[in-house]
Amino acid sequence: MLVVETEKLTKKFGDFTALDKLDLSIEAGETYGLLGPNGSGKTTTIKILTGLTKATSGTATILGKRVPSKAIMQKIGYMPQETAVYLDNTVHENLALYSQIFGMGAEETSKRESAMLKFVDLTDWKDSMVTNLSGGMKHRLSLACALIHEPKLLLLDEPTVGVDPELRATFWEYFRKLAKKGITVIITTHYMDEASHCTKVGLLRQGRLIAEGQPEALKKQYGMDSLEDVFLTLARRRDVK
Amino acid sequence: MNARRAFAFTRRTLQQFRHDRRTLGFVLGMPLLMVIIFGYTFGGEVSNIKVISINQDLGLPAGTMPNFPNGLNMGDRMDKSLSTNTLSIERTADVDAAREKVDKAQTWAVIIFPSNFTQNFIQKMAGNVSSPKPVVEIYLDGSNPNIAATFMKSINSAILSAINKLAAEMNQSSRDMPVSIERDYAYGGSGLKFIDYFAPGVISFAIMMVTTMITIILFVFEKRNGTLQRLLVSPATEGEIVFGYAMAFAVIGIIQSVVILSAAILLFGVTIQGNIFLAFFVILLLAFGHQGLGILLSAGAKNELQAIQFIPLILFPSVLLAGLFWPIESITPILQPVSWFIPLKYGIDAERSIMLRGWGIEQVWPQVLALVFFACLTLGLSVLLLKRRR
Repeated sequence: MLVVETEKLTKKFGDFTALDKLDLSIEAGETYGLLGPNGSGKTTTIKILTGLTKATSGTATILGKRVPSKAIMQKIGYMPQETAVYLDNTVHENLALYSQIFGMGAEETSKRESAMLKFVDLTDWKDSMVTNLSGGMKHRLSLACALIHEPKLLLLDEPTVGVDPELRATFWEYFRKLAKKGITVIITTHYMDEASHCTKVGLLRQGRLIAEGQPEALKKQYGMDSLEDVFLTLARRRDVK
Repeated sequence: MNARRAFAFTRRTLQQFRHDRRTLGFVLGMPLLMVIIFGYTFGGEVSNIKVISINQDLGLPAGTMPNFPNGLNMGDRMDKSLSTNTLSIERTADVDAAREKVDKAQTWAVIIFPSNFTQNFIQKMAGNVSSPKPVVEIYLDGSNPNIAATFMKSINSAILSAINKLAAEMNQSSRDMPVSIERDYAYGGSGLKFIDYFAPGVISFAIMMVTTMITIILFVFEKRNGTLQRLLVSPATEGEIVFGYAMAFAVIGIIQSVVILSAAILLFGVTIQGNIFLAFFVILLLAFGHQGLGILLSAGAKNELQAIQFIPLILFPSVLLAGLFWPIESITPILQPVSWFIPLKYGIDAERSIMLRGWGIEQVWPQVLALVFFACLTLGLSVLLLKRRR
């Protein structure tokens, strides 16, 4: 089953083309890494999928529904680049807000909240003020907020930027667990080495998909040791053309 | 509109205030400080006080007094000595219509020189003990003690200057020329202090400032911190977000008003003539409108520093032109129409009428309507603004 599908998705900001006829098909259960340097269109793709930005032309569908759509929001978990938690509230109050927004009842809320706190290892910090938490804890809370309503699709915009190596490893551990539960994860990053954690990656450059496939298969196909080399080789080839 | 979702924002915001003691202190402390400081220290000059002067004095016809071959009309003399700087005088003959204008707060006072004024004045001057005293009748709206006091001062000096002039002309001592003033208050009275007049204005002003400032800063934070994006990628509608916040500010506004009113009553013995619930209702309308204004302004600020720059922009027109300290009539005529576009003016007008004059909704509805319009406009535009963001 296709969870995300885009067809000739294009986004222009004035003369600048951020996305150029992008075609994506992402299967259920995939952990899909959208890779590319800054300005390659990763965040724009996520913003169109979340409905935060409108595409100039082309279409995007999530679970068979054209976006933007309010109805589909119930099934999406979104973690923005920023920490996106309320600093002057407690961990519990942050999670309570999102569970209420997603229409969960009191019983379900407390059950899901405990599960999420355990998942991101914040159970002991439930009643702490977010402002007093470390940066890593805030990031974990942000992920918990995105997951509280058991989304089918998780959209993560550069979740590992500015995150220390230990937490980055923890995050990938989380994402693996989510994938096991059948949750489709789309993650953007410019750290090419992280892509080995994904089941599939798409290399994005100047708003176009220049290569796509399983990380190992891609390396083999181009005879390179790392995805970074694959990217650079492809980029050079295009420039020569 | 899903109420549960909307109230989730309300709850979250109120919890934030509960945790953030300093902001809570600001919300409650700033208005308190204002009441106290201004209540004790302020006493500004007022000008252009609207009054009606009615001269019924028949005077003495020509030829009755050797010194005055053309006759004498003391009412006319005093009327002409009234200061045109302080007072803006309208002259009519219809007493009932004039008194009604005071009742409707269209003018501050009526001054009446009765028909026998000059006659009694001359009789009294001549030492006729049985003659009644010459009386200047005054019907005054005392709801603004500052205006009432300035007005009385101006009446006294007008009478005094007319008497002194007459004394000089007659080579007589002005001490033999007594005039009484009979005052009748439409509202307020000699017991009304400046703080009574000031309290409704401070409440309105504090609600306006706190609501606008905190909304701007909260929304700039939401925008910069990514929480707003997260809310927009949820089933919550823009209407629910705005409504949820509005409810939070309604609660904060009510708490603020209770604190300010309690302080005004306990510290300064302020009295409230009208319906307190109507007063609270007007406060809520003010809070809603300015919350919308805050959201709209937050769109123009990239960060908290830029947000703070909006403060003087809202502060100064409101302080100077909304009638907080001095009546709008005292402002330069060119600037007066500007005040029509300051929502705070309607809030202050309504609160003063309710708290000092004891007016009900049947009299303050124009101001209430203006505030409802302002709230609908800014909140409606806020919803559109958030919608445009996606």
